[in-house]
Amino acid sequence: MNTTDLRRAAFHPATVAAGAVVVAVLVGLVLAALAGAAPGTAVAALTEGMVGTPYAIGKSLNAAAVLMLVAAGFVLAYRAGLVNVGGEGQLCAGGIAAAAVGTTLPDGTPTAVALPAVVLAATTAGFAWAGIAAALRAWRGTSEIITTLLLNFVALAVLSLTVHEPSLLRQPVTSSETLPQSAPLVAGAHLPSLGLSRSPATIAILVAVAAVVAVGVLFRATPTGLRLTALGHAPEAAARLGVPVARTRFLALSSAGGFSGAAGGLLVATAPFVLAEGFSSGFGFSGLVVGLLARGSMTALGAVALLLGFLVSGGINLQLVAGVPATAVSIVESLIILLIAGSAWWAATRRAAARPAPAAETSAPELIGATR
Amino acid sequence: MTVLTQILVSGIGFALPLLVAAAGELVSERAGVLNLSLEGMMLSGAFTAVLGSVLTGSPWLGALAGVAGGLLLGAAQALLSVRCLADQIVVGVAANALALATTTFGARLLLDDGRGHDVAAFDRVEIPLLHDIPLIGPALFGQTALGYLCVLVVVVTAVLLSPRTGPGLRIDATGEDAVAADRTGLPVRRLRILCILLTSAMAGLAGAQLALSEVRAFSDNMTAGIGYLAVVAVIAGRWRAPGTVVAAILFGLAQALQYALPALGVAVPPAVLAMVPYVIAIVAVSGLTGRSHAPSGLTVPFARA
Repeated sequence: MNTTDLRRAAFHPATVAAGAVVVAVLVGLVLAALAGAAPGTAVAALTEGMVGTPYAIGKSLNAAAVLMLVAAGFVLAYRAGLVNVGGEGQLCAGGIAAAAVGTTLPDGTPTAVALPAVVLAATTAGFAWAGIAAALRAWRGTSEIITTLLLNFVALAVLSLTVHEPSLLRQPVTSSETLPQSAPLVAGAHLPSLGLSRSPATIAILVAVAAVVAVGVLFRATPTGLRLTALGHAPEAAARLGVPVARTRFLALSSAGGFSGAAGGLLVATAPFVLAEGFSSGFGFSGLVVGLLARGSMTALGAVALLLGFLVSGGINLQLVAGVPATAVSIVESLIILLIAGSAWWAATRRAAARPAPAAETSAPELIGATR
Repeated sequence: MTVLTQILVSGIGFALPLLVAAAGELVSERAGVLNLSLEGMMLSGAFTAVLGSVLTGSPWLGALAGVAGGLLLGAAQALLSVRCLADQIVVGVAANALALATTTFGARLLLDDGRGHDVAAFDRVEIPLLHDIPLIGPALFGQTALGYLCVLVVVVTAVLLSPRTGPGLRIDATGEDAVAADRTGLPVRRLRILCILLTSAMAGLAGAQLALSEVRAFSDNMTAGIGYLAVVAVIAGRWRAPGTVVAAILFGLAQALQYALPALGVAVPPAVLAMVPYVIAIVAVSGLTGRSHAPSGLTVPFARA
């Protein structure tokens, strides 16, 4: 390997992403120290919460599954040139639909019927919720970033409404201590366990991996994937080649919502099997982070989702054991995005400069990723 | 005080921070930069304002700290989106998450440490005679000193940077066609950075107004989406000051209704009212606005070829 190769490797997107993660984690340790936890204690609490017990591992896997689904949807829309910031709202829509179906099915409905019904309802609800923003984008040209973002606030309010109103999904109020949440889902709608001993891990991770593989295959091997990519790269050229631009955009963004909706359904179908305010907290945003960090690679998407899933449950333990506010993990997460977003252009130009002269022109603009 | 007056008082109370932030955001957007980070700038401003007020005991120094808190996030947005050509929207969303997490973390560490902290807040100053105007008097002329300053800042910015002034024309040129503006010798990047810094300073001021004049304390995520509504107010106002002002006031009144209707005995679930401003915002963004009004260079980064 000569120096040119080395320099190119140093500015490879994966190296840059890894560098950003390292810097952000160092900042996290400083924050932990500020909160009064010695770096050793903080790291120990974090690892304990991540991989210390079968329980921790199971929790982390469940979180990673949700992140993978949201991120797979994000990537699907992102390839078509659409940014889905509405993961949180779509998770809520999916969760509400899942709870509505899961609590109304008769007791004793077999899993083979109840579980698919719940997941299907959640997916449809997420699809429809994102469909509002998607239709506005496809046929009116309204920025999907603004609408998906605003729809998050509406969905959070709808969630609050459904769990507070006895006429909607609130469990029967028997005393003043009845929590504002839904009744538990029927037993058939509970997500089966993965079968690991003393672990809460469910088959959600399998569903998520299947979804990620499906999106990967879609882009690698199908005409639909090619159409989406063409639309994302050059909408006008795609239109001339016969891609139905408006319809493809609508389906891409709505499907992204379908993935997030399914994730919301899986969250509700996991213990404690109820819909409550805040059940989706932060997964929508973290899913977006995973999608951005993966930079189009489905393998990277799986890896990053696992990393963040473990970080999130580690962060909870960090708060419990070391007394460091769990928001430290959110700080680390948002720093990672800012660092990667800021370094993308810089790294791309450095990398292009380090490459043999003739090819330098072709790849830099594509890697900028800033020319929306 | 009649009920209508009360709604107006609380409506203007909500509208004023929104208005200051929106007036600032208008300048950035005309220059071609969309700051979704406005929400985070306001939240940082609110946090540093309360912190400054607690530490110094002076509300004015607190407000100054609020402006500085907004500027801090604005500097990050400017560096990343103008210097490093990062996607403005991605940076904005991430900056908001950073501000939310950092202020929550900071509040745990610095404000909720078990010892009570006195926030030196602003008191209301009722302007004689004007305050006695029926209906609108108490709403408009019963603000705090910082509130009047906010109105002044909005008016000064709107007038000095209106499209009829030299600087205003330069800002519009930068946002409409950065390449052409660059060819005529305008310093496109410097102009955009200055606009973002102005926006963030005003957003910080808005946060300070919210924290030191209205709420008189800091609570986690206390802006709760006002920053996004301010961005939408600019879009709904078709990138011009009068429309933006009207939109900001409407959003403020919609927020006030949330608290006013239950007080009037109208039984509407609070969640329904909480979603009203956002539903209005979605309709405003998608329905009322023609696309032709947007600065054509909005969200497009500029680099010399």
